[in-house]
Amino acid sequence: MSSVLSGFAVVIEPENLLYCLIGVVIGMLIGVLPGLGPAATIAILLPLTFGLEPVTAVIMLAGIFYGAQYGGTITSVLLRLPGEASSVVTVFDGHALARQGRAGAALGVAAIGSFVGGTLSIIVLSLVAPLVAGFALDFGPPEYTALALLGILLVATISGGGRIRALTAAAVGLLLATVGRDDFTSAERFTLGNLSLADGLDFVPIAMGLFGLGEILYNLEDRHRAIKVPAHVANVWPSRADLRQSSGAIGRGSALGFVLGILPGGGAVLSSMAAYALEKRRSKHPERFGKGAIEGVAAPESANNAAATSSYIPLLSLGVPANATMAVIFGALLIQGVTPGPQLVTEHPELFWGVVNSMYLGNVLLLIMSIPLVGLFVRILRVRATVLAPITVLITLVGAYTVNNSVFDIGLVIAFGVLGYLMKKFGFEPGPLVLAFVLGSLLETSLRRSLLLFGGDPTGFLTRPISGTLLLFLLLVVLAPAAQALLHRRANRQNQLDWANRQDQDSRMSR
Amino acid sequence: MNRKFPALGLAAVLTLAGCGGNLGSDDSGSTAAYPERAITLLIGQDAGGSTDLIGRALADPASTDLGQPLTVQNRPGANGAVAAKELAAAKPDGYTLMVFVGSLAYITPLAVPADQAVDINGYEVVTGISQDDFVLIANPKTGFTTVKDIVDAKRPITFATTGVGTGSQLTQTLLFAQAGVNATAVPFNGGAPALTAVLGGQVDVAAVQLGEAKEQIEAGKATPIVTFATERPSYMPDTPTAAEAGYTVPVQQSRAVVAPKGTPKEVVDRLRASFQKAFAAQAYRDFNDQRLLTANEVDGTALLQQWNDALKTYRDLVAQHEIDLAGK
Repeated sequence: MSSVLSGFAVVIEPENLLYCLIGVVIGMLIGVLPGLGPAATIAILLPLTFGLEPVTAVIMLAGIFYGAQYGGTITSVLLRLPGEASSVVTVFDGHALARQGRAGAALGVAAIGSFVGGTLSIIVLSLVAPLVAGFALDFGPPEYTALALLGILLVATISGGGRIRALTAAAVGLLLATVGRDDFTSAERFTLGNLSLADGLDFVPIAMGLFGLGEILYNLEDRHRAIKVPAHVANVWPSRADLRQSSGAIGRGSALGFVLGILPGGGAVLSSMAAYALEKRRSKHPERFGKGAIEGVAAPESANNAAATSSYIPLLSLGVPANATMAVIFGALLIQGVTPGPQLVTEHPELFWGVVNSMYLGNVLLLIMSIPLVGLFVRILRVRATVLAPITVLITLVGAYTVNNSVFDIGLVIAFGVLGYLMKKFGFEPGPLVLAFVLGSLLETSLRRSLLLFGGDPTGFLTRPISGTLLLFLLLVVLAPAAQALLHRRANRQNQLDWANRQDQDSRMSR
Repeated sequence: MNRKFPALGLAAVLTLAGCGGNLGSDDSGSTAAYPERAITLLIGQDAGGSTDLIGRALADPASTDLGQPLTVQNRPGANGAVAAKELAAAKPDGYTLMVFVGSLAYITPLAVPADQAVDINGYEVVTGISQDDFVLIANPKTGFTTVKDIVDAKRPITFATTGVGTGSQLTQTLLFAQAGVNATAVPFNGGAPALTAVLGGQVDVAAVQLGEAKEQIEAGKATPIVTFATERPSYMPDTPTAAEAGYTVPVQQSRAVVAPKGTPKEVVDRLRASFQKAFAAQAYRDFNDQRLLTANEVDGTALLQQWNDALKTYRDLVAQHEIDLAGK
């Protein structure tokens, strides 16, 4: 318990408070701006965090992530323009409410829902992570092999876009992870005799290129998009009836978001869509959805914030990033000399509790700021892309250089920027690639280490309790969609049979 | 950055130092005024690692004596080969130096193809710095307290190394080859993960640097078996050295300050004098004690002798025991 309290002491150090504030403000800002997402922003800002203490750096980066969830809502409601992918479903009812002159109510409910969802997740995170840390030393190479395999598979199968495309991107990521001197034999792999590649491709330039530069290039394509002038927002406090109507949705959205956020590949986008679908299905009047149902705003907004927070659980307790943004934060921690994993809570308690507790504070800051600052943030949308894009590119390239003082890295950023642009253009998400890249080396080295430990006998994975359980879960994940499809087909056939029978009876009766 | 400035008074030179004016060029005999601007100290390892900390601990007191800043720049990659390559290409004017790790000179060449091995004789050694000793530790649950215990267990064992081509791998491979133990190497990425693998019982033993294992040994979570030092380190008077246990495994990590080949002798001497003063600084000596480092502040000739001998010894030992560090 004392470590929890000392975590709060870390948070209220003026420097950490300041960076928490900076983080959430940047987060809201990029949340408002369509295009640039939290993963891109965090990747671009990575080099700026090197001079900071690890805890301060992660407090700021975490703030960007959950701040963006708040910011994305604003443009969804006011402009029918989702700033973040996780706020896409908020558009349906949020903008409908705005057209009815109730934008304030929608924004208010979204802010409250986000706050509740985020806070509930932090409380569970505080309780769960130390439990996992109790098993920390039991996590050896076989356990990490199972975890990495699970992570890559879930990301590739659950993430948005086509499954084949996601798997393709993940496969490229795995391939890129093999570049460099082999850790076990020091044989050269795809290094082309270049010493800069001897230790493999660096994560930072890849993330900065694919997420940062790639997104900027892609966004340049629709620079001619007309910016609508938003409606004036009056009375942001939702009415008591609104609150009563949305309280259930906030609770369910938070719970759903929490669970989906933990699962690798889940995260904010998926959970907001699932929460919206759940509310619509539960509602006695599903026809209200899309025409200004307040629950249609409350549920996804609570869910995306809960998920943004709970996706820190696998990262901080197991060292496995659950989504692309977590992969970038994983990279940030590595650069700071902190390896995320089961030992994190015990070895760096100040970091763990400092970051977790900063989230309580960040959510309060966001709740306070999001309502009065709505007008200001909306005005930022008028900054032209022709001004914003070159500045961002410059920051990205200078940042890439400062990581290792290496010109080679700038070249890498540009190459991966072009790749990221092309991927987006052809409908591939860069997320699975980056995640597979991060987890790929973990998977390879853990697998080979495990086999060395087992003397080459692969059944060793199944006889160890933790890795065995994880692999069983993996099997379920692989089989679930197949089983589902089978059931569906059988149900359909049953329906068809019923229908045919009824037709038969009808015709017989009419005879 | 390499614009030439007209010679100015010393005070003006000091203020200009940060701008990178290239005074006192290589061809003239004006090295008496060396150093006239900031000196870059390359480090081939990541910021925050042992080598980085050592370099930074030295840079501070040395720059006080030189009257110019020593700017530390990390160029991590391939155990320092990336930085060594950059150093070899730098102008031999004393404005680019590097903290060179011994394993790159005398262990890595045993594990990588010949064209990637770095030859320390292609550089000008300014001074030796210090040595780091390795200790073999076991998980207490194995019941191992001596090398004899491991031999008598008569079972195959697993050992964690801090990577391929490292002192951790060489020490253990040599020890188990000489002791006739059937041992499998499991490479990890650095000292901390190797240590964790021992604590978690994933492997039986590991060799890590003394400073890395100190805390866990004191806490009783890891049992020290032997050190690979030449004599018992003062902090571990009860743990025998490998030589005392009857094995020839004299492996240490060592570090030195190195300049490009062809750096004028006056410059090397001037630098060496400054580093000597830095070694004497109380803060630096406290740093050495705290990190359990043994001073090895010898001159260039002596250091080259040490490292060249080490490479030859290891080559012979590895050949004699038919060991292949690059895996089976």
